[in-house]
Amino acid sequence: MPSSDRANPSRRAVFAVCLLAAVSGACASVQPWQRARLADPCMTFEANAALTAYASHWQESREGSSGGAGVQGGGCACK
Amino acid sequence: MPANSGSRSRLPFRLGLTAGALATGALFAMVFAPTFGRKSESEDINIFFHGFQDSRGVTVLSPTVDLTKDFTDRTSLKAKFGVDAISASSDSCARCHPDGIRSARAVASATLNRKYGDTTVGIGGEFSQENFYRATTLSTSVSRNLNKGNTTIAGGYAFSLNQPVLHPSEFTERQYAHDAYASVTQTLTKTTVVQVGVEVAQIRGYQTSPFLRAALNGVLVPGNSPDLRNRYTFSARIKQALPASTYLDIDYRRYHDSWQLDSNSFGIGLSRHFGDTIVASGAVRLYDQTGAYFYAPSYTGSPLYYTGDFRLFPFNSDLVTGRVVYTPKDGLFGMRPGSALTLQYERYWTTRSFDAAIFTGGITIPFGRKAP
Repeated sequence: MPSSDRANPSRRAVFAVCLLAAVSGACASVQPWQRARLADPCMTFEANAALTAYASHWQESREGSSGGAGVQGGGCACK
Repeated sequence: MPANSGSRSRLPFRLGLTAGALATGALFAMVFAPTFGRKSESEDINIFFHGFQDSRGVTVLSPTVDLTKDFTDRTSLKAKFGVDAISASSDSCARCHPDGIRSARAVASATLNRKYGDTTVGIGGEFSQENFYRATTLSTSVSRNLNKGNTTIAGGYAFSLNQPVLHPSEFTERQYAHDAYASVTQTLTKTTVVQVGVEVAQIRGYQTSPFLRAALNGVLVPGNSPDLRNRYTFSARIKQALPASTYLDIDYRRYHDSWQLDSNSFGIGLSRHFGDTIVASGAVRLYDQTGAYFYAPSYTGSPLYYTGDFRLFPFNSDLVTGRVVYTPKDGLFGMRPGSALTLQYERYWTTRSFDAAIFTGGITIPFGRKAP
């Protein structure tokens, strides 16, 4: 059965995200004219969304874990 | 493997389903692309074909069509339609269907996003249907840009009703899933972006695969899994622009659930521009997981829970990916400039003697007045 000790990593993760959100405003601000390389599609996390969604789909049908790519629909086609 | 012979015999079925889905996608593109003339920065249609073949002889062909359409400056729609055509649905099916059994899954989804200043709100739904499984999902999301666009916070929630049929009986079980996530994306420097996120999900109801058998007192029987599973995921990603038009992508995911299944996933990849038309990418993913607390190779006596589900076994896996995206200046095959061809090959190995090859080919077609 789950123990509170095992759930601690997720609590630490939530805390880390909240902390990053709180301090992110203090991070160095990159101006629009400095964003040339940031604008490249290779720097976008959602650049290959269709490929990422398919990869998540077949990996979830083979592995016991899931998540980390936003909420998704169900169904597995994994019999 | 028995499944092999069966898979070959059903080629007309697979080609028929695949051709139908591809025809739907092409029709989608032909009908909608010329008529979408309003201003847009990201309107496009993606038509992809995925082929998955594993060491059990199972082949899954999956054509998908994704459409992103802006209706106004503030409102956009994302729609998706996809099919999985499965040649032989694993060893468990082959046990009762030695000549193989055909299976298919169809999925359709739509998400409507609307901007309110720096905030974007989304609402969507997805429905998938396969031979013995139906899933219905409703989702909401919100994101907000802060700090002159250098920070993005996002969150979302989804509810799914999943309905497996306990084949070979006609009885349908129910499973309820709640899933919530939050993420922060932060531009650190002119060449560095990071993203961290957490996801929490709770699944209640029937969670046993009716198709995978456990060895209980020497007899193969359907498993019995707990009715409650809480899942926790932490993820972190970093993208770093390097010299020579090269980009580094590193990601890590830590997973834990109330069935005591823990996993780590680490990925690293490089992408590089070759001229103005080609982007080549390569990536490696290393994955490990522990078994669920009630996992055992075989069971004796009268255990409360027991499973034959390979996803709850301990194992490691490796994944290698290679991808090329070709975006000719004058457009692809006479299509408008900005259209691109994507080819991707992946190889997947596990320590449980399972491996698979995955091929993806597809085209992206931009449309709208601002399409490049």
